Amino acid sequence: MSALCLAASLASPILATFADRVPGMFFGLPLLALASLIFAATHHEDPAAIGLATVHWTVWLGGILGVVLAVVLLLGTFS
Amino acid sequence: MAQRANPPKPRFVAVSPDDGTTIDLANPALAAFLSWLVPGLGQLYQGRWFKGTVFMVSLMATFLAGLWIGGGTVVYASWRPGDRRLEFIGQAGIGVAAIPSLVQAALVSGSAKQPLGYGWFAPPLLRGQEVSESYRQQVIASDPEIGPEDFAGMRFTPRQPGDQSSLWRRRLGRHFDFGTLYTTLAGLLNLLVIYDAWAGPLRHESGKDDGDASPTPGGSSKGR
Repeated sequence: MSALCLAASLASPILATFADRVPGMFFGLPLLALASLIFAATHHEDPAAIGLATVHWTVWLGGILGVVLAVVLLLGTFS
Repeated sequence: MAQRANPPKPRFVAVSPDDGTTIDLANPALAAFLSWLVPGLGQLYQGRWFKGTVFMVSLMATFLAGLWIGGGTVVYASWRPGDRRLEFIGQAGIGVAAIPSLVQAALVSGSAKQPLGYGWFAPPLLRGQEVSESYRQQVIASDPEIGPEDFAGMRFTPRQPGDQSSLWRRRLGRHFDFGTLYTTLAGLLNLLVIYDAWAGPLRHESGKDDGDASPTPGGSSKGR
């Protein structure tokens, strides 16, 4: 439990710094979830399949956008 | 003389990519229209309760969240010189927002010179735009940055540079942009929902679908 608290206390300043650097990220996360859900639900009919496909789309979209974000941040840092 | 039997009405069906069962699309045109009007309403009309509810809750929640983030100012129709609202093309993917916006835009630009109700979905005032006396009072009462001195008679002549949308953007900052993004994306994603109501689930031609190893049935997805 104490290890968890320690990890949280260490992670929170890093997260806060990250959120400060990328203020739009937290506004973008619900949109990522929404797009994944809609893409999944328009490709499937079964609720279980929609759930699986939502995770699948979230990983893909989040991964692609995350890589783009990382590249932009790196370019911004080193330029 | 024998009477000719009425030909059976054509049924519009789609095939589920998950288990191959048929999906009754009822009247696809009506379903697509209903889904444009309110996301998911077409699917509910077709008896596809789960998907209809998912679409309605998720898209309407995102759209309303965008409206809230943007202080209720981000959804409006305007094609006037100096204020072309291109984002409205995306926002118009949701009919319950598009119809009031178009009505308000027509009323403000028309002879009435004022929108209906509290001015929701009404376009911002442009510099030099003429308004009715009641709308002038309403704007002064509702917008904290606009006072009686911002009008010359019935014409909007703000002291600060720009027009009413400039005031909104200054006051809301990036929230104006995020609100616009939320409402626009909700409208654009609803186009997929409209297609789903019209023709059933989208399919991958490769026969393999996302997150599901079950094969997609071959043949047409829609029998008419």
